[in-house]
Order: sequence, then C-alpha cells, then structure tokens
Amino acid sequence: MTAVPLLTGYAPLPGTFDEILAADGPRPPFARVLDALARLKTDELARLQQLAEQALLNQGVTFSVYADNRGTEKIFPFCLIPRLVAAADFAHLERGLEQRLRALSAFLDDVYGEQAILAAGVIPAEMVLGAAGYQPTLRGLKPPGGVRIHIAGVDLIRDPAGTWQVLEDNLRTPSGVSYVVENRTITKRVIPRLLDGARVHRVDHYPTKLAETLRAVSPRPGGDTTAVVLTPGPYNSAYFEHSFLARTMGLELVTAPDLFVDGDVVYCKTTRGPRRIDVIYRRTDETFLDPEVFRPDSVLGVRGLMRAYAAGNVALANAPGNGVADDKAVYPFVPDMIKFYLGEEPILAQVPTFVCAKDDDRRYVVDHLDQLVVKAVDEAGGYGMLMGPQASAAERAEFRARVEATPRRYIAQHRVELSTCPTWIGDRRCLEPRRVDLRPYILTSPSGPWVLPGGLTRVALVDGSYVVNSSQGGGSKDTWVLKSGGAI
Amino acid sequence: MISRVADHGFWLGRYVERAESTARLLSTTRSLALDGELEPAACWRPVVVVAGEEQGYAARTAGDLAAWDDGDRVEAFLATDAEVPASIVRSIAAARDNARSIREVVSLEAWESLNELYLWSRGDAARAEFAERRFGYYRHVREATQLVLGLMRSTMLHDEPLDFIWLGVMLERVSQTARILDVQHHAYTSLTSRHEVVETSLWLSLLRSLSGFEPFMKQCRGRVDAEAVARFLIREDRFPRAIAYCVHAAYQRLAAIRPPDADDRPGGASLARLHALDALIAGGDGELRGAAVHALLTHVVDEIHAVCESLGKELLGYG
Repeated sequence: MTAVPLLTGYAPLPGTFDEILAADGPRPPFARVLDALARLKTDELARLQQLAEQALLNQGVTFSVYADNRGTEKIFPFCLIPRLVAAADFAHLERGLEQRLRALSAFLDDVYGEQAILAAGVIPAEMVLGAAGYQPTLRGLKPPGGVRIHIAGVDLIRDPAGTWQVLEDNLRTPSGVSYVVENRTITKRVIPRLLDGARVHRVDHYPTKLAETLRAVSPRPGGDTTAVVLTPGPYNSAYFEHSFLARTMGLELVTAPDLFVDGDVVYCKTTRGPRRIDVIYRRTDETFLDPEVFRPDSVLGVRGLMRAYAAGNVALANAPGNGVADDKAVYPFVPDMIKFYLGEEPILAQVPTFVCAKDDDRRYVVDHLDQLVVKAVDEAGGYGMLMGPQASAAERAEFRARVEATPRRYIAQHRVELSTCPTWIGDRRCLEPRRVDLRPYILTSPSGPWVLPGGLTRVALVDGSYVVNSSQGGGSKDTWVLKSGGAI
Repeated sequence: MISRVADHGFWLGRYVERAESTARLLSTTRSLALDGELEPAACWRPVVVVAGEEQGYAARTAGDLAAWDDGDRVEAFLATDAEVPASIVRSIAAARDNARSIREVVSLEAWESLNELYLWSRGDAARAEFAERRFGYYRHVREATQLVLGLMRSTMLHDEPLDFIWLGVMLERVSQTARILDVQHHAYTSLTSRHEVVETSLWLSLLRSLSGFEPFMKQCRGRVDAEAVARFLIREDRFPRAIAYCVHAAYQRLAAIRPPDADDRPGGASLARLHALDALIAGGDGELRGAAVHALLTHVVDEIHAVCESLGKELLGYG
C-alpha cells in the first residue's frame, strides 16, 4: 500500500483508533475497498468532491440555520470518502441496539405504568420522576399499538481500543436519516464503481420501512388508514428531512394549523372538507403538541390532540413522554434496565458517567473539571457542555458554580478519544484523520425492533475538534456497512 | 388535499408563470427599442405599467424623468432587482419558496430544476449573463421556467396538486395577456404620428412578447392592425396564451378540483364566477376596437382578481 497517492503521508493520530488504517496498514475487512480507493488521484477526488457538493446544493439538501438570518440554508458539509463498517462489527451493533431498544421500551412502559424498577430500587426514583422529560399526566396511558419508541437514533463512538460505546440515546425526534439516504444517492452518482465493488448494504428502503412501522400502530388498520408527517414548518432546521420523509413515504406533510380535533378524533383540513387522521409522525417538540396539556400560553399545536391520543383514536410517533428515557442522567442506568427487564448482560458498552445528583460523584466532578466533559442533561446539539481539558479556568469556574447550584442538571464523563476516519480536507487537498461518531436508526413496530444497516456518520471537520454537530462545524459521510463475506 | 398545500401550489404556478412572462416582455421590448422607431419612453413605460410598478419605479429613480427613457434601468429594475416585488429574481425566489414549502408534493425533478434556476439567478453566472448577453439571460429564464412547468406535467400525478399549480399558471397568464394587451393597445392606438410601418412593427412586437407572432401570421391573412391583434389575443381559443384559451383551461382545472355537481364541497362560487367569464369570452362576437377593447380587458382583469379572492376564501384556507 506504500505506492498509494491518496493515502501517502496519511498518519493516524497517536492514542486514537483509526477505523481504516492500523499502524501496519489497512484493516483487513477494508483492504479491497482501500485498494480501489487508492487508485483515485488527488485531482480526481477534488473534482468528484466538488461534483458531490454541487449535487447536494442543486437538490436543496440543506438545513436552515437558526442563529443566522431567518431562512438561511446551508448544505450539511459532506465528505465523499465513505466511512466503512465491517460486517461483523455491524452484526454486533445490531444485536446490541435491538437489546437496548427492548429494554428502553420496557422501561418507558414501566415508568408510565406500575414503576416496578423504582420500587425495586434499581434506579433512584428522584432521577426518573425529576427528569424534565417525565410527563406525570401520561401515567396509565397505553399508546395505540403498544409502541412508544417508533424511531430511535442511538449515538455511538469507538474508544482507542476500537470498542463501540453508546454515547447517548435519542428517543424523541431523532433527525438525520434523510442525509443517510441522500448521501448514498450522491456516492452512487459520483463514485459508482467504488460502491459497487465494496458490496454495501442498501439504505434506500428506510422510508418504506418507516411507513410500515407507522401503519402498524394505526388504531384503524386497513386501507383507510391515513398517516401524516407533522412539521413545525419550512423555517425549522430539519425541514428538509420532514419533507423528504413525507415525499418518500407518499404521506402528506402537515403543520399544526392544518389539523383540528372534533369529538376526540383528529382531522385534517382539506380542499374536500375534513379528513380523518390515524397516525401522526410528529417532528415537533412534544411541548408544542397540544396547548391544552403542555403549554397553555402556546398558540402552536393542535388543541385537543392529547385527548384524542388518550382516547386511542390517534397514534403519535414517537410517543410523548419518551424524554424520560433519553435523559442524560437516566442514561447511566440503561445497563441496569437491560438486566432488570430482560435478564441479559448488556451487549453494547457505554461511557462511564458521573451523576452529579449523587454526592460522591459531584465531589469528584468539581475536583476534576480539567479532565472531564460536563453536559447539561436537558440540552443537545453540543450546547450546554464543558470540554474540561480544553476549557479556560474561567469557564471551568463557571461550570463548577452551575453544577453545585443544580446538580440534577449535570452529568460528567471522561473525554473519550473518538476514533478517526480518513477525511478529505479541501484546503490542503489531502486526506487527514478526523474524529467521527455514528448514529444508527432503529424502527420499532409491534413485532419488535429493526436496525437500518447504515447510519449517519458525523465527522468533526475542524482539525483537533471533538464536536461533530452540524451546528458547530461538523459534516457527514456516507456510511458503508459491508455485507458479510464481502471482505478480502 | 390540504388547503395550505393547495395555496402554495397555486402560488408556485403563478410565480413561475410571472417570471417567464416578465422575461419575455423585457426581451421583446428591448428588441423593439433597438429598432429605434419609437421614443424609448414609449417602449419602456408600458412595461413598467404592466408590472404594476409605475410608482415603485418613479420612487426608485427619485422622479428622474429621464429614467423612463433608460431601458437599461428599467430592465435592471424588473429583472435583477431583488427589492422589486414584480422582478424576475423575486418571482423566481417566491416560486421556489412556495415549492420548498411543499417539497413532498412537487416532484424531485421539477423541484431540482426550479432550485437550480433559483441558485443561478442569485449567482455570478446570471449577473455576467445579464451584463454581457442580455438576450441570453432572458432566454435562460424562459427555458428554465418552461422546463419546470414541463417537468411538473410530465413527472407528477395528474390530480389535485397539479390542478392547483396549473390553475395558478393559467390565471396568471390571463392577467398577463390582458394587461399587456390593454396597456400596449392603449399606447399604440393613441400615438399622435401614425405611420403604417411603425404601427405594424409595434403589433408584431406585442405578439412576440406573448409568443404569438407565428401563430398569428398563420391565422391572419389580412392587414396587421389593432383589431386583428386584439381579436387573436382575446378570442383565439386554440392559442395557449390567448385569453379565451387560458380562461377555459383555468375553468377546466377548477372543475376538476371541484366538479360543478359536487354541491357538498367548497369552491362553488369561484367555479360559477370563472364559468361566467369563460362564457362571456367564448360567446362574444362584438367589435374589438378602441374603448371596447379596454372595457373588456378591464373586466377580465377585475374578474380574475375576484376569482382569486374567492378561491382564497373557499379553497386555499385564507379564512
């Protein structure tokens, strides 16, 4: 592999796991793909990368930037060099994710039911009942079809030993899957032979699977079932994805003012009069679902929607109330949930976490802020966190005060050296290692969970950065899950 | 279908058509002005009037009377000025905004071609084209908008969403034809020094601005004069930019959306109003000279406006 122009001079970062190249050369499952990739010349790759970006812009595969001017759209930066996942690795992830989702589903049923896990003392009750995502009014309410986490996105990272670890669960309205499908469309168009030679699992059937998942929980099964996608509107940062999913599932995309409730049944205002709605894939925050229940001051939402839900006349995906299970302070207890509900050992590892609500943990955290990553439990997108090793003394002091004022709001973890993948750096016209994570998507229907063989690879494009969020300089890659028997 | 979605579709159609129509009008007027037989202001003022931007232009040029003689300024105002509501770039952006709000309804190919037009219209390529190859700029807009309309018809289901888009296209086109004809008809027939050659070239220019030159010549065996042109652009139901054709096509789209016998569904008042206009245009056989033309065209513009208001209330969810 020494005569490879594209990878010449590529050196994995010390102390990190490079997923593609080990110290002694390419990792065996990827040798054949790398061999083909290596035949590309730098100029050619630069041209292909440009083609890919132009295609994304023309297709309007963009996200809106809130902080920017209203309505400004950007393409999600894209790196043409795919992120490869070996068949055996993904088989392991698949088993682990299915197990995790079964446990999290059981946990939600329990928390909104008899609360056996609290009674058994497996999780401190105040951790659960004090979570911002816990909705006491929903207790005792069984969702139509019995499913709560129809769509999950679980963020995974790999530590310096290459071990996959769960970083967080997203069980409310996880986004990003449209980029998984669109990124594949682009690689198909731009590097077709490479893709063909690699024997990669397809991902374009996700919308069909999602539509089946939604239909499966309809309170009125059969041909008349109407499902819709509910969006906050074109100025939402994920609007592209909302319209993408509606379009590829053949469903209508609605906003809250398009819907109304009469006699505990949800209807859509159409040019032919009201039409009954059975399933709502809602991409709005649950606090804006129904002003009667969540935010009396809100003009957003559909008045009476929760009454219709409680009456079993409409299914909501995902179910309201899921936030209690992906709360960052509840996350440390997921391995305990797996043992408690399933009687199994957790298949997937997760990052050891200090819960600041516990006195011992909090004391350790405030004394070791320079070594820890501190996160607010109710914020996402890379906000509300302290990267201790890189932070200034003033920032650390500020976080110490915050943690001591409201310990329940904070958790802390040692910074994990994220694994890296070769990434095209346009300015320097070469490949360099950049840190990545992986968000696979799991659909759950009454028959159980299904894992999409792929996922969103986010990459921290900025040299030295650990933050992969698109709002903070992150980009994405197409994730190639190789088929088994496809190696060598 | 959802009323809000119908509304976006309707305006998507209107704005695409408006961008195309404005490009065509500017292009033929430029050509007319280059012939040099008319005072520049006589060429350009009607264009600004048709766009409904008389006051806007006066304000923009700070009352400078010479501005009405300056074709370049009028063109920049109505083509590339993003501050002007009727400009080509604004129409394209508005069309694209509406399409973006109903991405799940517009076919991917149609959306992509519209989005490409939008990105082009805001970029350096369009600026260079406008500065250096003006006719090329207009041609690009016309071809790209036609591509969008063609792709919608050839890659979307022919049902309600497309009916609303097409209803928008047709109603916009009726208004454009009616206003262009009304304004030019008035301007040309009131010229003080009449000269047959000049007059003919004016009528031909008007026909070209509505792509009607060749079809007209195939139909008209006699003299090219005001009445023949007005008759063709109002009553020729086989020419897709004539008022008779557009009104009837709009009626057919609306009747597909809300059939005449579907009394339990909203839209009846709009349908009845459009039907009456269709019958009036199709059934008329009176003289089309001078004041009669102006009166008829004013009636058309007013009625289309009323139909749109009624559609808003009955079908598009304006409440």
